[in-house]
Formats: sequence, structure tokens, C-alpha cells
Amino acid sequence: MYALEHVLNHLPAILVISLFVFAFIMPLLFIWKRDWCVPVATLSMGLSLAMSLALVIQVNQVGTFVYHMGGWEPPYGIEFRVDYLSAYMLLVLHGIGLLILVYSIGDLKKELADRVIGWYYTLYLLLMGAMSGMALTNDLFNLFVFMEICAIAACAIISIKEDRECLEASFKYLILSAMGTGCYLLSVAMLYMITGYMHMEKVAVALETGAAEYPYNVLVAMSLMVVSFGVKSALFPLHVWLPDAHASAPSPSSAVLSGLVIKIYAVAMVHLIFRAFPRELFEMIPMLEIILWLSTLGIIFGSIFAMVQENFKKMLAYSSIAQIGYVFLGIGLFTPTALVGGLLHILNHAVMKSMLFMVAGIIIYSSGIKRLQHFDGIASRLTWTMVAFTIGGASMVGIPITGGFISKLYLAQGALEVERPFFLLVILVSSLLNAFYYFPISINAFLAEQKREDITFKPVLKSMLVPVLILLALIIFLGLNPQPVTNMLEQAAEMLFE
Amino acid sequence: MEVMEILENLRDNYFYFIAMVLFIVGFHTMLTHSNLIKKVIAMNIMDTSVFLLFVSIGYVHGAKPPIMDTVQPEGVYINPLPSALIITGIIVAISITAFALSLVAKIYQYYGTIDADEIAEIRGSEE
Repeated sequence: MYALEHVLNHLPAILVISLFVFAFIMPLLFIWKRDWCVPVATLSMGLSLAMSLALVIQVNQVGTFVYHMGGWEPPYGIEFRVDYLSAYMLLVLHGIGLLILVYSIGDLKKELADRVIGWYYTLYLLLMGAMSGMALTNDLFNLFVFMEICAIAACAIISIKEDRECLEASFKYLILSAMGTGCYLLSVAMLYMITGYMHMEKVAVALETGAAEYPYNVLVAMSLMVVSFGVKSALFPLHVWLPDAHASAPSPSSAVLSGLVIKIYAVAMVHLIFRAFPRELFEMIPMLEIILWLSTLGIIFGSIFAMVQENFKKMLAYSSIAQIGYVFLGIGLFTPTALVGGLLHILNHAVMKSMLFMVAGIIIYSSGIKRLQHFDGIASRLTWTMVAFTIGGASMVGIPITGGFISKLYLAQGALEVERPFFLLVILVSSLLNAFYYFPISINAFLAEQKREDITFKPVLKSMLVPVLILLALIIFLGLNPQPVTNMLEQAAEMLFE
Repeated sequence: MEVMEILENLRDNYFYFIAMVLFIVGFHTMLTHSNLIKKVIAMNIMDTSVFLLFVSIGYVHGAKPPIMDTVQPEGVYINPLPSALIITGIIVAISITAFALSLVAKIYQYYGTIDADEIAEIRGSEE
């Protein structure tokens, strides 16, 4: 009992550290007992899912709580702060992360060389650990360190496939990520110059007086922050790395990159906006307005680019640019309702997009089809896969009874609350555009005749299909019964805005 | 602001100015040069400029290094926190550089060139 209490007290730190420890055990296990790699990685993700559940329960009981690394109080030590938003994000990360891991067992055997499969799980767990750290940390420099770990791991799970396309895409991603983190570090330096703190809330307090004294420093710091998080989470004009990187990566990597990695930067940005900057600053500097317009451009242009793609995975990647726009739209409108919509869309899009990338992976695994023009009639062979695709597409469009509808509803309400019906129009137009490129594919797959006789279909492994079906059920569940999630997010938004 | 005032400010804070110039040099080279190795070098210049800026924030003119002096404990020390943070930053930059260079080596193996424009041409002709 005493030991359990100790574990519960140190849960935020144990969550991050256990993932890193398991990550570094992986290559050793791979040399020593090759068969153990997959079960141990699954065990590690299962443990962290249990720990994030425990954190969610703890947050619901006691509200926001802090954890000091090594018992050092800030400003000396690093602080982890667990609020509703970070607990929610941890649950999303590890829940979907576990499903992607289960899916990857079957898929990787085909996509990767045998000698690197153990290393893949190292990178995967490192990525998960870094993302958990980013959701939890309350320290500007600590956030930088986690961002860099996340960037290296994210690039490496692309380049591990080692073909021509992946290497080039991964290098492009790495250079732009390094630019993003460079900008972030510079902006931290600017803030440190004025405030002398790394702890987010202390920075906000110091900025209340400091911002008037050094307005240019704050202006530069904030614009650098928008650029850095914009690059990292593929906000519209800074998205150039995303289509190649997400389309060429192995399918489980695409699922985790598109579903989780770009979202975690949006969450870190929400934390920075609400914790590290005083509210009055946003009246002086139009940072949120800029985010709002960039996200609007992203929503429209992402959908338009997606329409003209011929490669299935590239189309999904461009659609991610549009969908991350919704998350930033929720942030930019700056009202609790819209923020709930944006944050809910993090979960919805994570579920839909990781499912769709798994669907793409299953289609490639089974038949080798990558181009949309060859999709005619494949539903007769891959029925469940194409049902999942259709429901996923419907959720992207925002048809009622799917999860995507609920988050768009919240966003639309938020837009009306601040009396800017223009953004309601943007949501409607983009839903229409989504319908234009998702539905014809389903219709062709189900109704058209299969033209090509030369394609053979391999049977799909159960371990690949089951995660897809679980996510499919989750989409419908979130569409019919969103209350548990929205209640939690409403509390999160209320807390952030107070 | 008077020109003289600006110049005086520049003279007093020349380390900030140099760091900014380096940052822009690195940033520009990284995004515009097509040679991949040059991109990696530029990335390092950019990172180093931020490190310089960070360390110079902690510098106090005429102060002692932050080591406990038992003979003369009084006096001003420089701020050790930025230096400590930048050591972490340097490690991170090294690992990114190592990873980037290994990617460049692999890219050379697969494409036979390290020029981004030529790679784009090869990829364009493949499709």
C-alpha cells in the first residue's frame, strides 16, 4: 500500500521515464531475445495507458496538480503540471498509440527490413515519451528538450524505411523542424531576457510589467513562437514538409505522425498561450488573429490540394493540413466553446486519421494499390476496410452520428459566439470540399466494377484489422455519446480561461 | 531615436547584434542553399547564434565565474543558469547534426548527389 502511494505521487515523472527506459531496452532485447520485443513494447504502452487513466482520475478528484522534479521547487527545478488538458492529451496519446502499435506488428513485417524492427520500437517509445513530456511540462526549456527528442524520433521513424522517397522527405522534415526549434529557443531567450524565469506562470506574471518596458522583445518572441509551432504542426504556409513526410513513411508511422505528433504541438501552443502570456498581451499583439487567418487558409487550401492528389496517402496527408486548421481555428477564435471544439477535434482527427492511414496500410499490404484510380471495386475483397474508410470519410466531412460532426458543431457555435459568422461559412465550405474528395472514392470502391484482373489480394492479418475496427467503433461512439469527453474539455477550457 | 543613440545601444549590446546577424545568416542559408551539407552547416550556425545570445544574457560585466570562492565569498557572480541550459542545447544540436549528416550520407548513396535541386529533378523524372 505504501509503495503504491509512492508510485501514485510520482506518476507524471514515472510515465515519461518508463517510456524512455523501455525505449532503450528494446535494442538490447532485439539482440538477446528477438521475440520479446513486440510484447514488451505493447506492455510498455499498456502501462502508460493505465498510468494516464490514473492521472485522469486523479485530476478529476483533486483538480490541477503539480509535480516537482527531484523535489526542487520552481524557479530552481522543473515543474510538471497536470491539468485537464494534459490529462486528456495523455489519454489520447497512449490510447491511440497502443492501437497503432498493435497494428504495426503486422504491417512492419512487410514494410521494414528485419534487422531494424527492434529499433523501430525504440523510436516509437521515444516519440511517445517525448510527446507525454510535452503535454505535461510547465517549463519553457524543458519543453524545448522534449520538442527536440520528438523531432529526431519523428524524422527517424520516417527514414527507417530507407527508400529514396523516405530519406529525402525525412531530411526536409528534419531541416524545417530544426528551424522551428531554433526559432523557439530564440523566443525563449527573448522571454528570459525580460523575465528571468523558465517557469511558464512566473513568466506570465513577470511579463505583466515587463511587456510594457520591452515591447519589441515580446513582439519578436511571440512571432517566433507562432513560426516555430506553425512549422511543427504544419499550419498553412509552413506545411511544405508534411505531404512528402507523411505520405512516404511506413503506414504506422504515418498514422502516429498525422494523428498525434502534429497535435501535440498545438496542445503545447495552447499551454503557452494560456500559461506563459498574460491575457492583456493578446489585445496589444494580434497573434491570435494571425493564427485564425492562417488556419482558415489552411482549411481551404489543404482541402483543395487534397482534391487533386492521385496517391491515396498523399491525399490523406493534405487532408491533415486542412484538419489541423480546425484545431487552430478553435484556438484563434479565443472563446471557451470554440476551444472545446478545437481540442475535441484533436481527439476526433487523431482517431479518424490514424484509422485512415491504417486503412491505406492494409490496402497496400493486401494488394499493393497506392493510387486512387485503382480503387474501383476493391470493396468486394476488402469489405471491412472500405467500410472503415467510408465512415472515416463521413466523419471528416462531419456527417451527424460521427465524431467529426460534434467538433465542427462546437467550432461553429464558437464562431457565432464571437459574432464572426464568416468562419461558420469557412467550416461549411470545407466540409463540402471534403465530401468532394472522400465520397467518390467510397462510391467507386463499392459500386464500380473491378477492372484490373492482375491484382491479387493477400488475406489481411487480424492484428491489423482489429485496431481499425476499434477506432471505427470509437468514431461512432464519439458521435453518439460525446458527453464524457466534452464535459472534461469544458472543464479544461473553463480552467484555462479563468 | 537619434542615430547616435542607436549606435551607442549597438556598441553596448554588440553581442546581441552579432548573435542576430549570425542567426539571419544561418536561417537564410538553410532555407535557400540547395547543397544539403551547407544546410546542415547553416543549421549549426543558427543554433550557435542562439546559444551565444543565451549565454550573453547571463553575463554580468566585471563579475566572477559562478564558482564558490571560500577566500572571498562576496562579490557578483554571473548568472549560471543560461550556461547550464546551453550545455543541454549543445548536446541536442550535436545529436541533430549527427542524424542529419547520416541522412545526407544515405541520400548520397541512393541518389548519387547531395544537391537538393538535382534530387528534385531525379524524383520528378521518376514519376
